[in-house]
Amino acid sequence: MNLEDIKKLAELARIDITEEEMAEIAKSFGSILEYVGQVQEINKMQGVEMKNKEDFFLHNVMRDDVVTNESGFYREKVISEMPESENEYLKVKQIL
Amino acid sequence: MQIDLKNLTIEKAHESLTKGEFTVRELVNAYLEVIKKKNGEINAYLEIYNNIDEQIKKAEEMFKNETATILTGIPISVKDNILVEGQIASASSKILGNHRAVYDSFVIEKLKKHGVIFLGRTNMDEFAMGSSTQTSAYGVTRNPLDITRVPGGSSGGPAASVAGDMALVALGTETCGSVRQPGAFCGLVGLKPTYGGVSRSGIISMGSSLDQVGPLVKNVNDAEILFNAISGFDSKDSTSIPNEKRNIEKTFKKRIAVPREFLNGEGIDKEVLENFEESCEKLRKAGYEVVDVSLSAIKLSLAVYYIIMPAEVSSNLARYDGIRYGEQVKGDKLLDVYKKSRGNGFGKESRRRILLGTYILSHGYYDAYYNTAIKARNIIRKELNDLFKNFDAFITPTVPFLPFKLGEKLDDPLSMYLCDIFSAPANLADIPSIAIPSGKSKSNLPFSIQFTAPHLREDILFTIGKDFEKLV
Repeated sequence: MNLEDIKKLAELARIDITEEEMAEIAKSFGSILEYVGQVQEINKMQGVEMKNKEDFFLHNVMRDDVVTNESGFYREKVISEMPESENEYLKVKQIL
Repeated sequence: MQIDLKNLTIEKAHESLTKGEFTVRELVNAYLEVIKKKNGEINAYLEIYNNIDEQIKKAEEMFKNETATILTGIPISVKDNILVEGQIASASSKILGNHRAVYDSFVIEKLKKHGVIFLGRTNMDEFAMGSSTQTSAYGVTRNPLDITRVPGGSSGGPAASVAGDMALVALGTETCGSVRQPGAFCGLVGLKPTYGGVSRSGIISMGSSLDQVGPLVKNVNDAEILFNAISGFDSKDSTSIPNEKRNIEKTFKKRIAVPREFLNGEGIDKEVLENFEESCEKLRKAGYEVVDVSLSAIKLSLAVYYIIMPAEVSSNLARYDGIRYGEQVKGDKLLDVYKKSRGNGFGKESRRRILLGTYILSHGYYDAYYNTAIKARNIIRKELNDLFKNFDAFITPTVPFLPFKLGEKLDDPLSMYLCDIFSAPANLADIPSIAIPSGKSKSNLPFSIQFTAPHLREDILFTIGKDFEKLV
């Protein structure tokens, strides 16, 4: 993993990071990725059969599509947490 | 009167409160006094709540009108990633700053009904990422048993609050050992419940498929009392287990498995292994069958965890952009606001894991890492489910080594990650696990042993745990 790769990841993750830290992260990724690379061994392992649906431990959870809170119930509190707001609207930089 | 905080448990406190040996106010004041004296050095608490007086009045009222429960008036500390309405919840990160919770988490809502006393919020590794409470944006927490050492993490603040007699019990959270490991380092009992057993509603997410709230306490009985109070179905958490599915057949064989190869890995302290063997021997003498077994997939648990967790972290932490809440750093364009707020607001370890997750989930690597890890996770679950057909639980040390010095391992992330080696199977397999003190080392540091049981079988952990406590 080189500095350019880390730069690209920081761009994708939208985080400003100094070059110095990028170099440090690149270095630590080497040992971390080598360690987690062990996971490939699972493809060689035998003995545990994965056949049935239950072996995959996932199911969907649905709920009725209904309003659960009274309108405006959290409005004031949520607005008071905004870094910038105007007349009950969240204020952001111009996008277009 | 002088209250013996060191030996106080929930049951003892409740008895004294009922008999009038001391009042809720006297009990709370005793803890507040210790906090005043010790917290400057230990840094377990980031803040003491300003509504304690109100809480005391409510609890005393419950004793007066005889609606008190066993938890009424019990002083408890709350990890900084658990929402308490109106209070700051920052996950010990600068990016949340002075963010105030808009609603109560499920666990807090439940405990409020009991009239417990929430003393304050406790320090943690930023967004629960760390094993030593050194990545907090608000300073390190020290281990009350030896202030030159770490208390473990990420629930280091909650653990230190109980070990330092600054709270009777504490609520922590874990994604991979963050309750059990600080429990081990501070000489406490720490419980990681079944995934879906305790609602995650109102808990600041780290790895959503792994996160659980758990108690940090002085004995197994307290863990059981607190667990019973916070568990239960919650419609606000889609992964919460419906109540009717919690009634399962409960067999008990008195058989415990030792996953032998798993203990032969590198980096496990000789002293820790010796204490582990002694603990197994004690259980045998107490009538348990403790048998070596051979498992293959379980040893990949930590590698699997360090793929799934950063993937989930990078997704969960994408919401912190400085726009809707938390700290914002100004910029020329919207994109600058995002980048600057995130760059400035997240600490080093959070930044590292977000990038790691971004990499793991990126085109070209997704299959090799994430998909393979998901496959391995299912195989680990299956392997453990098969094991539990013949055993009540399996046993390992909680942590491969004793509490380390402050500053140690901080520059070597992989060696820090290895703290979690024995923690990972329980989180990956959604099953409950408990850490219990198992003696003291020559240097007077706490040893800890860990039992892990099948899905929804916390009862097994409590039974074995109470038996084991008598043997130490």
